[in-house]
Amino acid sequence: MRRVKRNTIVELTEVTKIYEGKVMHRALNRLDFEVEEGEFVAVMGPSGSGKTTLLNLISTITLPTYGRLMINGIEPEALKQNDLALFRRRNLGFVFQDINLLQMLTVEENLVLPLTLDGLSVPEMEIRIAETAARLDLTGILNRRPDELSGGQAQRTAIGRALIHKPKIILADEPTGNLDSKSAKDVLELLSHINKNEKTTVVMVTHDPIAASYCDRVLFIKDGEFFNEIYKDERRQTFFQRILNVLSLLGGNVNDLSSVRLP
Amino acid sequence: MTFRQFAYRNVIRNRRVYTAFFMASVFSVMVFFLYSMLLFHPSIENRFVQEIAFMGMVIAEIILYIFTVFFLFYSMRAFLQARSKEFGILLHLGMAKRQLKRLIFIETMIIGVASIVAGTILGFMFSKFFFMIIREIVLLPALPLYFSWEPFALTIGAFLSLFIIISYVAPVFIRTGEVADLILGDAGNRGAYGYSKTRGYLGLLFLALSYAMAASTTNSVVIGLIFFLPPLATVGTYYFFMDSLPFLLHKLRKRKKYYWHHFWLLSISEGVVRLRENARMFFIVTIVSTVAFMSVGILASLTSFASQYHEMHPLGLIYKSKSENAQERKHIAQLVDELNAEQIDYSLVRFQVLEQTSTFTENTVAILKLSNVNMLAQSFGYQAIDMKKGQAVFLPPSASSYDQLKNRSVKTLLQESNIHVTIDGAYPYHLFSAYSIASNAIVLNDADYELVFEKGFTQRGKSFSYYAFNVPDWQKTKEIGLSIDAKVAESFLAGGSSDLPYSFENPGLNYSVIRTTFSLLLFIGLLLAAVFFLAAGSFIYFRLYTSLESDRKQFDVLRRMGITDREFKKIVNRQLIPQFFFPWGVAFVHSSFAFLSLQVIWDALAEISIVKELVLVLAGFTLMQIFYFYLIRWRYLAHIKASV
Repeated sequence: MRRVKRNTIVELTEVTKIYEGKVMHRALNRLDFEVEEGEFVAVMGPSGSGKTTLLNLISTITLPTYGRLMINGIEPEALKQNDLALFRRRNLGFVFQDINLLQMLTVEENLVLPLTLDGLSVPEMEIRIAETAARLDLTGILNRRPDELSGGQAQRTAIGRALIHKPKIILADEPTGNLDSKSAKDVLELLSHINKNEKTTVVMVTHDPIAASYCDRVLFIKDGEFFNEIYKDERRQTFFQRILNVLSLLGGNVNDLSSVRLP
Repeated sequence: MTFRQFAYRNVIRNRRVYTAFFMASVFSVMVFFLYSMLLFHPSIENRFVQEIAFMGMVIAEIILYIFTVFFLFYSMRAFLQARSKEFGILLHLGMAKRQLKRLIFIETMIIGVASIVAGTILGFMFSKFFFMIIREIVLLPALPLYFSWEPFALTIGAFLSLFIIISYVAPVFIRTGEVADLILGDAGNRGAYGYSKTRGYLGLLFLALSYAMAASTTNSVVIGLIFFLPPLATVGTYYFFMDSLPFLLHKLRKRKKYYWHHFWLLSISEGVVRLRENARMFFIVTIVSTVAFMSVGILASLTSFASQYHEMHPLGLIYKSKSENAQERKHIAQLVDELNAEQIDYSLVRFQVLEQTSTFTENTVAILKLSNVNMLAQSFGYQAIDMKKGQAVFLPPSASSYDQLKNRSVKTLLQESNIHVTIDGAYPYHLFSAYSIASNAIVLNDADYELVFEKGFTQRGKSFSYYAFNVPDWQKTKEIGLSIDAKVAESFLAGGSSDLPYSFENPGLNYSVIRTTFSLLLFIGLLLAAVFFLAAGSFIYFRLYTSLESDRKQFDVLRRMGITDREFKKIVNRQLIPQFFFPWGVAFVHSSFAFLSLQVIWDALAEISIVKELVLVLAGFTLMQIFYFYLIRWRYLAHIKASV
């Protein structure tokens, strides 16, 4: 398959991350990894393979021990804490497995939170909310609280929150982990839609081969090191099969493999 | 590991949670013990001062006890709810409900017994110091440390029974639903909460009403308001925290321009949650602080009371005798002897005060002889004044009435003696206590006085003797005339002082009684306020601690979202500051208004201002609170950040 060369938005060069502590732990070992602008990438691997560490590095909330990390043209290590926070605020959006909506805020308020931090005017914020809500089918539930939402609605809200400030990169950590299959499908289609239409880069960590099959490319890592990488083909079904093949090669823990197959 | 060991380790390993609670319990046991040490002190006789102190102590003990009951119930409930996940796991592992109850019982008793023991020991250690302070205040010759079983029995009995009851009742607080619910904990427990609009409005109305009334009181209605306002304000405060505040915040949430502005979104919504969790606590803290501020303010103002008291009561001793009094000579001789024995300088002037009816007012008017008044005035170092025949001046009943009378001129006829006088102006010096002679009195020139005396002499009972002792060292007289004073007090308590043919006033003694009583009450009150202070702080800390888990998660979300450390500190500030200072702020406002209305009584009573003392007290409390705030914020931030 031919690929159009695009700008690189995330670039890891020989990145090693070591957690110091009572037990020293090498989470990533000399990992090279690139994400191009507008790409939808999945990162897979068994538990403890370093997926979340990789995501945290891209999130700029942890810094590499060795190696070089570039995100959207900047090097997080070179920035001060405050500038880093501002960088995250403007460029990154997050979707979590346990959704992490702020419980005391309504859907609308959760959506608007990133914008308030940037001090937009109220009419502008309202326009953005209306747009986002319409796109994510949240219009009817704007005044509900997180505990009054279904799993799918909650995750759509979280995605809305990640999107509303029009970030360059969306980072998703197991976004379908807590959802039923119908909601999971909705969420994935949504992410892929956003990726196609808005050219937003999406990096998603997942255990679920179905989720991964929505992506352009899947990176497999094992014990903090590169294991394999596959690109999507014309049909999602065959891509899915290929992902399963790599996963079975990967070994890992049986529990990490989802037994669900596409209908 | 035995079951008991398990319970013990639970407590020890949860010590971070329990520390603040434990400290507050220990402190309240300690203060309770100190009070009881004084209550059972063998060398305290039943003198008047001690009686009031005794009453104060008993009341303080009761308040302290009731407060501790509430505090323990609240804390226990919060603890157990916070640990519901742990209990869920235990039940999941197959622990019977009965065993769980026993576990909680043992744990609570461990903390309870530990705090009783620690509190009692600390109390005993500090009681020598405590007695020293009390002795200084009450001016007792000695207040030795003693050892007796009673204070120990009272303290241990009171708190042990309290802890036993709480330990038995506590398991009720665990929501006994499904085990799975317990394991999930109180995650989904932070939504909106109900409030009643009506009560919200009522709360605001009540507060506004009480403030308005307190600010506009006048002397005539203030007594009625004293009984009416506190309940009104209390109910108003309760509604304010439970309904008005949520209602107002809800309104604010609709004003997007303010609400959707930087961190206000987070701070306000977080504030609403905290308010819901703590509304009752805030209410209690507010009321308690108001009472503390007020008592401390009033009491502190009495330290500047002395000079003003002396101005109001210039005379050292006053003995007033009706003409049928057979003991007059004996009493005066006794007073003079006692003054000489104590080597106190004095000058004595005897007034024969005549009573006549003035045709001008149809009221009784008391008549003093000018030369007597001049003699007394000279003993104070004032100029003698001169008056011609037919002339008189008003003797102002109080210092404030001088201004009204000084330009007044009245011609009147003294009925019984048929003598015309012109009363022109007022006597300029303040020699007598307010109303100590009569509410309506004049100073008459000597010639006319003699005439009145001769003509009115036939009518016995219409005159009385007034012995004015001018004692420069007025505070030294507190041991003079105690037996006479006791008789007057006795007959007053038996129902009206009019039964006795004489009356006796000793400002030095009265002053020392007032001063001692109030300083003692101040001291008791301050100790009590300190307990409340610690308890409220421990509660806020504990609430923070129980929500630490979800706060960490929230912090993580916010951090990824791109909030800097400084901004996070700001957010935490905006969450913590209201919790610490809002109840106190309301209490400040409450007590300021209360003082406004009290100032009216105070003015009437004492004509002194308490603004300075009040500011000092409020500043002191605020400083303490700020210190506590920084302490707790420091711990909280450390905990939150430690996790990431």
